Amino acid sequence: MSSSHAKDFSFWGGRIPPEIESMSKNLKDVDQELFRKLMKAVVSSLEGKDCVSLMKSIAESTTIPQDRLGHIVAGMHRVLSEAIRIPPSSLKQEAFKENLRELRIPEDFISDFSSVVFGNRRSALETATSTNDPHLPALQDFKWRVDVAISTSSLSRALRSSVLMQMKLSDGSFHCFEVPLSKFQELRYNTALILKEMNDLEKRSILQIQD
Amino acid sequence: MTSIIKETQSIKEAVTFINAIDVNKFSRLISRIIQKLHLKGERTFSEDEEQKLQTALSLDKQALDLVLETTAFILEQAVYHNVKPVALQQQLEAVHLNPDKAEMFSQTWAATGPELVEKLKNNIFAPKKLEYVGWQLNLQMAQSSQARLKSPSAVLQLGLRKEDSEEFIQSGLEPSACSVCLSTKQSKTLVQENVFADFNHQELLEFYNKLEVVQGQLDSLT
Repeated sequence: MSSSHAKDFSFWGGRIPPEIESMSKNLKDVDQELFRKLMKAVVSSLEGKDCVSLMKSIAESTTIPQDRLGHIVAGMHRVLSEAIRIPPSSLKQEAFKENLRELRIPEDFISDFSSVVFGNRRSALETATSTNDPHLPALQDFKWRVDVAISTSSLSRALRSSVLMQMKLSDGSFHCFEVPLSKFQELRYNTALILKEMNDLEKRSILQIQD
Repeated sequence: MTSIIKETQSIKEAVTFINAIDVNKFSRLISRIIQKLHLKGERTFSEDEEQKLQTALSLDKQALDLVLETTAFILEQAVYHNVKPVALQQQLEAVHLNPDKAEMFSQTWAATGPELVEKLKNNIFAPKKLEYVGWQLNLQMAQSSQARLKSPSAVLQLGLRKEDSEEFIQSGLEPSACSVCLSTKQSKTLVQENVFADFNHQELLEFYNKLEVVQGQLDSLT
């Protein structure tokens, strides 16, 4: 560990990831225009779009061999994903730039990286990358109906109210079910209880810890 | 007061048979029938039990079927119109049922009737019914794409039961010293489908607001 490690922290964690290291070695003779094209392709792949054709056209338009391009692209991908992982409150722009300078990446390229990580496309990137993470389905659509059963085949005067709910979850599943009144009250009570607990949790000091 | 039992030919026949049955045996019969009345599509007695009943009550198969169906019918009509026990007794005597049997109907009805009405009120027509609400509040610290999160998330578990997944398994009759002794074992197997949904604070708040709107509608009904 270097003696300056205590005050510095690199956004990529302990060791320099191999992709980032090989990228920094392969950036000679890469002009800004090519760099920006590659950056665009990497950003759109992080957003989940398919960029095979884009990469092909870039590869054809330059004399730089494909394996070098491969190293650069892999390094860019790693830099961006690692940087986006850390919330902006912990990783400041200056520190990020400093880390990249340590790798001897040219200043123009550093500001290109910086504008992606700290620019206004960041939240779109964050949402796109977090969709790949494991999570339980969320409630996408919720429809309801209040019914009163006046008469049934067994009771000529039933007069019983109930709630019919239709839930569509983000994994595409669809649930339609009846909720008797007592269960509805239970559901409503529990939801309010969870909200209260969430509020208490958010006020507690564990969430005020700054990292 | 409209009569709930019209004196048709089959009613007359059934009444004759019922009047001939011994009072004690009939009382057990009627209790058993009323217990099973709220279950749709369930046979009150298994094949074996019906055989034994035929011997015990000295009725042939047709006569027994008629007696069982008519008893069930009388009880169903009582539930449908929600008659008072006294009125039921009067109506049964009007179709020439013996006073002791009529009184038995009326007593059974007074004892277990209201419970039966409640059960039937709660019988639902929707494919699934919410039976269980459970939840878990988590604090998510990180995920593959995001470090240092600290975001609260709630997981709501809704247990849904399908309408017709209640199975009753009955064991056979065990005859003992008295001529008709009905002993049954019942066990329920319930099939519950669990729905899990994840909510962050904002989503949960929106869900709660929708539930409040529903509550407002329910309140306006009363």
